[in-house]
Amino acid sequence: MHKEHYQTNSNLIFGLGLHSAAIIAFQLALMQLISVVQWHHFAYMIISIAMLGFGASGTLLALAREKLLRMSHWLVPMLMTFSGLCMMVAFRVTRTDFFQFDVYLLFVERSQFPILAANYLIFFIPFFTGALAIGILFIRHARQIGTYYFSNLLGSGIGGLLVLFLFGNIFPQQTPPIIGLLSVTAGLISISRKYRARHIVLGVVSVFTAIYLVHQPGTIRISQYKSLAQALNLPDAEVIYSNPDIHGLIDVAASPALRYAPALSLTYSGEVPVKKNVFVNGDYYGVIPRYREGQTSHILDYTTQSLPWAMQHRNNVLMFNAGEGAPLAHVFSKQPSHVDAPIPNGGIVSMMKDHFAEASGRLFLKENLDIHNVEARNFLAGTRKRAYDLIVLPHQDAFGGTAGINALQENYTMTLESFALMWDHLAPGGVIAASAWTDYPSRNTLKLLATMVQTLQDKGSGKPQKHIAAVRSWGTITFILKKTPVTAAEEEDIRRFARERSFDPLILPTITEGERQRYNMIEDEDFFLYVDKILDGDKDFLDDYGFMIHPATDDRPYFGQFIKLASLPKLSKVFGGDQLPFLELGYLIVMVTLLQSTFLAVLFIILPLFRLRKSHRGKGGTLLYFGALGIGYMFVEIILIQRFVLYFGHPVYALSAVISTMLIASGAGSLLSGKLTASPRSPAVVGLVVTLMLLFYTFFLTPVLQWSIAGPLTAKILISLLLIGIPSFFKGFMFPLGIRYLAGYDQGQIPWAWGINGSFSVISTSLAMLIAVEAGFMSVMTIAVICYAIASGVFFLHRWFFKQKVPAG
Amino acid sequence: MIIPKNFLYLFVFFVIAVTGGTLKADNDSFERDRNRMVRTQIQARGIRDRATLDAMRNVPRHLYVPAVQRRYAYQDRPLPIGYGQTISQPYIVAYMTEIIRPEPGHKVLEIGTGSGYQAAILAEIIDQVYTIEIIGALGRQARQKLEAQYDNVHVKIADGYYGWEEHAPFDAIVVTAAAEYIPPPLVEQLKEGGRMIIPVGSPFQMQQLMLVEKQSDGTFTTRSLMPVRFVPFERE
Repeated sequence: MHKEHYQTNSNLIFGLGLHSAAIIAFQLALMQLISVVQWHHFAYMIISIAMLGFGASGTLLALAREKLLRMSHWLVPMLMTFSGLCMMVAFRVTRTDFFQFDVYLLFVERSQFPILAANYLIFFIPFFTGALAIGILFIRHARQIGTYYFSNLLGSGIGGLLVLFLFGNIFPQQTPPIIGLLSVTAGLISISRKYRARHIVLGVVSVFTAIYLVHQPGTIRISQYKSLAQALNLPDAEVIYSNPDIHGLIDVAASPALRYAPALSLTYSGEVPVKKNVFVNGDYYGVIPRYREGQTSHILDYTTQSLPWAMQHRNNVLMFNAGEGAPLAHVFSKQPSHVDAPIPNGGIVSMMKDHFAEASGRLFLKENLDIHNVEARNFLAGTRKRAYDLIVLPHQDAFGGTAGINALQENYTMTLESFALMWDHLAPGGVIAASAWTDYPSRNTLKLLATMVQTLQDKGSGKPQKHIAAVRSWGTITFILKKTPVTAAEEEDIRRFARERSFDPLILPTITEGERQRYNMIEDEDFFLYVDKILDGDKDFLDDYGFMIHPATDDRPYFGQFIKLASLPKLSKVFGGDQLPFLELGYLIVMVTLLQSTFLAVLFIILPLFRLRKSHRGKGGTLLYFGALGIGYMFVEIILIQRFVLYFGHPVYALSAVISTMLIASGAGSLLSGKLTASPRSPAVVGLVVTLMLLFYTFFLTPVLQWSIAGPLTAKILISLLLIGIPSFFKGFMFPLGIRYLAGYDQGQIPWAWGINGSFSVISTSLAMLIAVEAGFMSVMTIAVICYAIASGVFFLHRWFFKQKVPAG
Repeated sequence: MIIPKNFLYLFVFFVIAVTGGTLKADNDSFERDRNRMVRTQIQARGIRDRATLDAMRNVPRHLYVPAVQRRYAYQDRPLPIGYGQTISQPYIVAYMTEIIRPEPGHKVLEIGTGSGYQAAILAEIIDQVYTIEIIGALGRQARQKLEAQYDNVHVKIADGYYGWEEHAPFDAIVVTAAAEYIPPPLVEQLKEGGRMIIPVGSPFQMQQLMLVEKQSDGTFTTRSLMPVRFVPFERE
C-alpha cells in the first residue's frame, strides 16, 4: 500500500461523512416534503434536476480547477456551511406566495413554467454547492480517493437511516433545518484554525436559523388540488389529528360536509353518514369508521362492494384494504368468525387503536381481528392458513380518478403472481372480490377482469364465465372470482341483490344481453363487447386495445399504468394533444423528467466538458467508464429496491435497507480499493467480477427471494445483507479505481469523470423507470450487466481507449 | 413647471380615448373568440340545440374566470378558479346544458356554482336558476357577478347535499363538481321525468358524465355519457 494513503486529515474525512449524510438526508426529506405538498412523481422530477448539481459541480471544477484547489482550504468548509444554510431555507422559500408552484396547474396555466424554473434553481443551489465541496475534496485527495469515497458513501448510508428516524418523530417541515445543521457542523469541523474566525459568523447565523425554523415550523401549504386541501375548504373543516410517521404524514380532518358513500345506490333513501377523513401525505386514505358492536347493516350494503355477501355468509375473511376503515366496519357488520388484516402502515393502526379507538367503536381492537403489520402479499406468502371464504382487494383507483398519478406506483397486490397466491389460499367456495371505479376510456375494469381470467387459465380451472361474476352500478363494478363455479342459486341471489339496488349484472354464467343495461345504460356499448372478448380469452384483443390492459406481473408490477408508447399518436388524434396529460399524468411526467434531465445534462455538463479539454486523450474511455458506472449503479439500486419491497413487504424499510446497505458496502469496497494498484488491470478484473455477479442475479435473484420470502425475519435480513452487500462491496471498488487511474494518467479529466458519473446517475433514475414499465425489471437488470461489462471492457482494452503508456499505480 | 390647462385636458382625453379604445378592442376580440369557440369547439363536436348555442355566444366567459386567466377564457380546456376548483371546458358546459333539455319555464337547480358561468348559461335559457356553492368565497364572488347580470339566478352558500327544498321539485339538476355519491335529498327534489347531470371523474381526467332520469313511476335510470368517444381499434 502506498504511504500517501495514510496522509489524510481525520477532521476533513469526518466532515465529509457528515456533509454526505446531510446531502442524502436532504434529498429524501425534500422528496417527502414535495410528496406532501404536491405528489411523489413531481418529487422525482425536481430531485433529478437538483441532483444535476453534482454534474454541474464537475463542470465548474473542470473550468476552474486550479483556482478552486488553491482556495480549497477555506472554500470547502464554506461551501459545506452555505449548502447547509440553503438546505434549511430552500423548501420554505418555495412555499412563499412568489415561488409557490402547483404541478396540477402546469398543464392549464402557462405562468407556472417560470415558477417551476425558479423552484428548480432554489433546490439546485444546496446540491450544487454541497457537491462542489465533495468534488474539490475528491480531486485534492485523488490518490487517497478510497478513504474519502468511503467516508462519502458511509455518510450517505447513515444519512438515509437518519432521515427515517426524523420522519418517524418530527413533522416533515422540521427536518430540513436539522439536516442542514449537519452540513454546517461539517463545515466547522473541516476548517483550519487560520480561517475559523471568518467562518464562525456564517456558522452562528446558520445555527440561529435552524433553531428558529425548528421552533417555528409553520404549516405546510399544500396544493389546492390535494384532497386534504379540498376537504379543508368545506364549512367548519379542521384538522383534528396530525402525526408524522415514516410512512408519511397522517392527518385527520373533520367537517359536517364530509360524507362517505362511494357510488351509493339511488334506491338508498336514508341519511349519508358524516365521517372524519384520513389523509396520508395530503392524499385521501380512508375514513374513521363509526362501528357499533352488533350492528348488522352498513352504508356499503347499498354499493356493489356488498356483492360477496349477497351470495352467502363468509366466516374467514382476509382484507387487503382494512386500513381504509369503512370496509372493515362493513365486513364486521356481517358477523364473520375471523378477519385477517395486513396493514403495512403502522401509524394508521396505532392511530385507530389509540387515538380513535372509542370513536371507531374499538373496531381495530376486536378479538376476532388479527392485524398484521406487513403488505398483504407477504402475509399470504408466510401464512399457513389456506381457507379464506373471502379475500377483499383494495378499491382500484380513487374516486374521480387520480388522473394517472399512480401510474408508475409498483403494486404487487394486483399482479398475476399475487392472484395465484390468493387463489391457493381460498376455501373451496371462497371468492376474491375486487371493486373499481368505472373509467373512460375503460382501463381499470378491463385490466382487473383480464387478470382474473388469466389467473383461471393459469390454474386450469375451466371457463371464466363460470367462475367470475360482476355487478355494475352507476359508478363502480365489483368482480368476484370464485374457486368453484358460481351456482344457479348464487346467480339468483346476485340478480336479486342487483335488482333491489338498481344495479345491473355484468357477468354471470347465464347472463343475457338485455339484463346488462336495465338500470344503468352506457352510451358506448362496446364496453360489453370488450368484456366478452376478455372472458373468451381473446389475446389479440388485449394486444390491439389502445391501452395497456394486459395483467400486471411481478416483473412489471404497474397495475395503474395504461398508456402505451405506440398508442400515443392515436390517443393524441382522438382526444387532442393537450388532453393527453389528463389520461395518465404519471407516465408523462416521468417521460418529461427523462427528457429534461438528459437535455440539461448534455447542455450544461457534457458539452462544455467536451469542448474544454480538446487536447486530452482518452476522453472516450473516461466517458464510457464513468457513464457506465453511473447507469449501472443506479439501475442495480432500483432493481434491488423493487425486489426487496416485495421481499419485506415494507416499502419504506426496504428502501432504506437497500440504499444504506448498498452505500455502506460500497464504502467498504472503496476503502479497500486502496490496497489494489491503480493499474488498468484492477478495474478490469473487478468490473468482470461485478458483471458475472449481476448476470447470476439476473436469473437467480428472484427465485432465491421467492424461496426465502416466508422465512423468519432474521434469516431474511441476513439473506438481504448478503445479496445486497456482496455486489455493492465490489461495485465500491470501481469509482475510486477509475479516479486513481486518471490521477496517474491525466488529472485534468477527474472533474470531468465526476460530472459524467453524476449526470448519468440522474438520467438513470427516470430511464430505469421507463424501461421497467415498457419492458420489465429483467430488462433493467440486463442493461446494468451490460454497463458493468462495458466498464470492465474499457480497462481490458485500455491500450485502445487510453493511448499512452500507463504510469505505475 | 406649470402645465397649461389645455394640455391637461388633452392628456385626459388621450388617456380616455386610448383606454376606451382598448376596452372596445378587447370586447370585440373576446366576442370574436367566443364566436370561434362556439363554431370550432362546440358546434363542430355535435352540439345542435339552438338555445344552448345562443347562450354560449351571449355569455362573456372571460368575465367568469380570474383576471390572470382572461386571455385563455375561450380556449378548449378547463381553467383554475382557485380553491382547487375549475371552470369546465366550454364544450362540457354546452354538453351538460344541452343534455338536460332546458326550456323557458323550467326551474333548474345547480349544485356547485363555482365561477357562476354554468348558471349564467342556464339563466339565458330558462326561467329560474337556483344555485348552491359550498365554498363561501367562491359563492360570494359568483353571486356578485350573477346578480348584476340576471334577476332569475338565486345563489345560496350552503352544503349542496340538502338541495333547495323550498323551491323543489326541479325540472333538472346540474351537479358541476364530481360527486362520489348522489345525495338522496337531490334525488327526491327531481321532478318525475326530470334529468340530473353529474360529472364523474376529476377535472384533471378525461371527462365522463352521467345522466340520471327519474321515471314516471319514481324509479331511476342512469346513462354514462362519453362526450369524447374513443374507438380503441378499427373493427372489421
